[in-house]
Amino acid sequence: MRRIQVAVLAVVLAACSADDAPLVATDVVVTEPRPGTQMTAGYLALSNNSAQPITITRVLSSEFASVEMHESVIEDGVARMYPLGELTVPDGGKVTFEPGGKHLMLTQPTADSDSVSLEFYAGEAVVLTVNVPFTE
Amino acid sequence: MCASRKPSLEQMGLKNIFIAIVAVVAIGTGAWLSFLLATPPSAPQTATVLPVTAQLPDFSLLDQDNQAIGRDVFAGHWNLVFFGFTQCPDICPLTLQVLADAKQQLAAQGQTPLPRIVLVSVDPERDTPDVLGSYVSHFGDDNLGITGELQELRKLTTALGIFFEKSAIDGKNYSVDHSAVVLVIDPRGQFHAIFGAPHDASNFVHDMPIIMAGR
Repeated sequence: MRRIQVAVLAVVLAACSADDAPLVATDVVVTEPRPGTQMTAGYLALSNNSAQPITITRVLSSEFASVEMHESVIEDGVARMYPLGELTVPDGGKVTFEPGGKHLMLTQPTADSDSVSLEFYAGEAVVLTVNVPFTE
Repeated sequence: MCASRKPSLEQMGLKNIFIAIVAVVAIGTGAWLSFLLATPPSAPQTATVLPVTAQLPDFSLLDQDNQAIGRDVFAGHWNLVFFGFTQCPDICPLTLQVLADAKQQLAAQGQTPLPRIVLVSVDPERDTPDVLGSYVSHFGDDNLGITGELQELRKLTTALGIFFEKSAIDGKNYSVDHSAVVLVIDPRGQFHAIFGAPHDASNFVHDMPIIMAGR
């Protein structure tokens, strides 16, 4: 069943032009890894313009060995970070990755680059690709 | 013959005196209100100042130049101390940037002395002095990074009520859960005040001049 859903989604996405893409990213900010570190965070807003929920199952980048979706929380004065695993953007809805909350954690840079590309997957289908310059 | 209704000179004099008194009172009240509105409150709004400052314990750690340091390292500065780690993608750089912004704003308004930003690593396994040095320098000049043996670090964190604990992200990577507060350690090296999270630069810009002035 899940494979059928992914296949349907892939067909729907293939039929969409960039203008009417079901999943749109705005306010994308990826900070350049700070000196001494091998990681950084990415922030953005994901809007689902389709009539179906879209579940992001993984994110890949050409410039980092690993990209994970995490959420920071402060519980009883303690800062904690939880992996999100999958993340569903509801149909017609929006999910925001912002400082102090949900974020992408990008680790182990693999290339010396001024920009970063991100591919968002729903199952085997790439549902969104973004490419932005690093923010200092 | 009708009596004259014109006020006498004496009556006119009294009236002028009355008007003058009202004017002086009005101007005085206005000036006083303006003074009250322009003068900042004399108490911190966000920070909690300890009723009695607390002595730090003895400890032996390293600064970012790999020099051995003890509690005297805080002396002579107003210190804004955050406990975090360099491999923390979100809360730690966010907090250090808030502190850097606050310091910049305090400098712009002519505040002296300026507080020093201190990062005490709760991940000494990965945060060598070298790594820590590059990292804290990114958030401004004169910042201090502290790392070292876990056992020595515990002496400091336990005395200050700071919690930290490793937390698995996946099979090979880990994060560190840690207290998110910013502590103020005064130039006598005493634990003086505490800012609770989440942090905003305006809180430090408002409260630190008051705390440093000892009001």
